[in-house]
Amino acid sequence: MRLKLVAHTPDVEALIATAMLTTTSGSGPSAIFRRLSRDPTRVARLVGRLEAQHGSILEHNRFCWILEAVEGEVLDILLKSRFFNFTRLDESRWMLSCNLRTAVECAQGSRDPFAEALVDSIRGAAPTIVSSMEA
Amino acid sequence: MNALKVELLSCTPADHIRGALGGMDLPDAELLPHLSYTFAIERISRSCSHQLVRHRVASYAQQSQRFIEVERLREHTVVPETASERAPDVFDAYIEAASRTYHGLLERGVPREDARFVLPNATETSLLMTMDGRSLLHFLGLRCCNRAQWEIKALADAMLAQVRAAEPGLFRGAGPYCYQLGRCPEGRFSCGRVQEVRDRYSRLALAEHGDSGSTRAASD
Repeated sequence: MRLKLVAHTPDVEALIATAMLTTTSGSGPSAIFRRLSRDPTRVARLVGRLEAQHGSILEHNRFCWILEAVEGEVLDILLKSRFFNFTRLDESRWMLSCNLRTAVECAQGSRDPFAEALVDSIRGAAPTIVSSMEA
Repeated sequence: MNALKVELLSCTPADHIRGALGGMDLPDAELLPHLSYTFAIERISRSCSHQLVRHRVASYAQQSQRFIEVERLREHTVVPETASERAPDVFDAYIEAASRTYHGLLERGVPREDARFVLPNATETSLLMTMDGRSLLHFLGLRCCNRAQWEIKALADAMLAQVRAAEPGLFRGAGPYCYQLGRCPEGRFSCGRVQEVRDRYSRLALAEHGDSGSTRAASD
């Protein structure tokens, strides 16, 4: 099985922090996002405080991979979460996508090569989230 | 009363996926579920946000009335045109009374989470909403329709303009279902103006064609 991240929503952690503050701030989400986009330190601090049970704010993004796998492996992934989205590209290649919440919950639920590859692939886009998972 | 504001904050770049596929031609309908679109939506009424969250295949983060006190209700209400034209005094009197009651409760120590029970549906709200491309196309099909309620239709039209600017190829065919399908699926509830609506959204698409736009340009 090989997993390669090909696209993701830009500014993932700034969006997560925006979702966090939108619920509790008098400012609108556009102003919050603009402020946070210029302040990665604050974004990291906010996202680092994220509590696991507030998973919905991890949903404002999408990650897309190309997966090389046989059908049995794809079925295993689908059984981990119904929120994975697949498109078959050819006999052994699939386009796979999900939001960060699905990826995080999948990785927390199992320690297998797929979960490890998933976490490794999102490390660059969501470094604070991955650090928190590994802490 | 302020006009609603919509801003497409971020979206999954479709060209990155197409690039990764090499020469493989993936139909738009297959690609759209793998893309997401995140909007900042501001100054809509709570009645509009109630309609919005009926679109369940989406994610929402909404300003909380438990945490945020509505300090000046009169300045933060959405007033329907029919109310401001036909009965502005009745509408204003109710907002004034609701505001007095809300602040009266707060002054007597009732917590915000309970005092908010008296706030009207006209109260403004802000939220962050993310939809995948397929759900967004469905949302636009329903809510750009002439049969949609005016506020959510205005919101859907503003969202359409933003996604067409960001991804003109993917969303050129987006709009109300009569524009997407070439026929009206509303049956006996049809507005009966299919050609007029289709022409309007075709003209919008042509006007936007070639305009790369900005994903962060506010619509107001």
